[in-house]
Amino acid sequence: MDTSKPAAFVNGEFLPMYVGRRVRAVVQNVQPAAGVTRGNTTDERPLIIKGSPPFQLTTYMEVIGIADTNQSIQAEKWTSFGNTFDASTYNQLCRLANGEHKNFAPAICPKLQPAIDASLP
Amino acid sequence: MYSTTQFDGNVAFSGGGFMPSQATQSAADPSFSPAKNRDAQGLLPLTVKQISEALLSSDDKSNILIDGVDVNNVTLVGMILNKTPRVTDVSFKLDDGTGLVYCTRWVNGEASETREMDAVEDGMYVRVHGHLKSFQGKKQLVAFAVRPITDFNEITTHFLECIYVHLYNTKSTLQGGISTQTAMINPVTNTPSKGYQAPPETEFSGQYSVEGVKSIDQRVLDYMNSILEAFKSLEAEGLIYSTVDEWHYKSTANG
Repeated sequence: MDTSKPAAFVNGEFLPMYVGRRVRAVVQNVQPAAGVTRGNTTDERPLIIKGSPPFQLTTYMEVIGIADTNQSIQAEKWTSFGNTFDASTYNQLCRLANGEHKNFAPAICPKLQPAIDASLP
Repeated sequence: MYSTTQFDGNVAFSGGGFMPSQATQSAADPSFSPAKNRDAQGLLPLTVKQISEALLSSDDKSNILIDGVDVNNVTLVGMILNKTPRVTDVSFKLDDGTGLVYCTRWVNGEASETREMDAVEDGMYVRVHGHLKSFQGKKQLVAFAVRPITDFNEITTHFLECIYVHLYNTKSTLQGGISTQTAMINPVTNTPSKGYQAPPETEFSGQYSVEGVKSIDQRVLDYMNSILEAFKSLEAEGLIYSTVDEWHYKSTANG
């Protein structure tokens, strides 16, 4: 068992809470652009992913990596989620895990509290 | 589960006395002991984080408890890492984003088992069904099914199920009493897709407001009236007869 390197579910809204930490996000409508990949998060916010997927682009892709800034992720792993994926339900899951019902978070989002503490001035 | 009709029968024909509550009744009945729950064989959707924080129950069976529920068979969704095939088994780590758990899939030389494990590779998302074991203080999963995920909505669904089952079990446990029984029984009996049974309504769950009579008083009176009606009906059918006065009856069949 090792729970020291969790990857939190994020959308564009919650990415800033995890800067410097490992996150997982689904991006849609990705476009390659000069060494980086641009796309939208499941809540339709722009996201820059540093790195390129090792396979052909699909409409939905999951990226696991370290959150660099409020709007970018340094990619470690890419997974194609294909061309049909329910992004809105995934977005709701992110919201459940992070915001609207914080008491849900301990089950799936283990390092939430330290991440919040770290993001505070 | 006790149905309401069984309760009425007990009260009416067991020689009187007050009606025991469901909670009292279950406490006296050893079949409701959580540790011996026959339904603990079900499949519980979990995250690695929940497994890592699980308590080992204090009895000598080294059972694992999560949210107050005895855990045996679990289902997880995550990414395969470090897959290592050996002659008799394939070991791998499963990363579901909340942590890593060590898994073993025994392959007894059967072609289907070997094919199943050949189909999964490092970095693939899979659903694992397995038996959660604790060995020398370390929890590990003995997998009996490892299947690649083809529809990635299954990942979302799995985590939503984890939240749902987690909340269902923790909330039910907090409420105690009647709800505890359903918490122990339902989540592991039914597969999550079937949904869960709502806690049974208690005798006083309804709200009644009658002028001059408090709601519970009125409820008791209604209940007594229903008993009186039952007595009249039984008397009319010749199954009971009045004795010293109109409030004392005897059964014609049992003397």
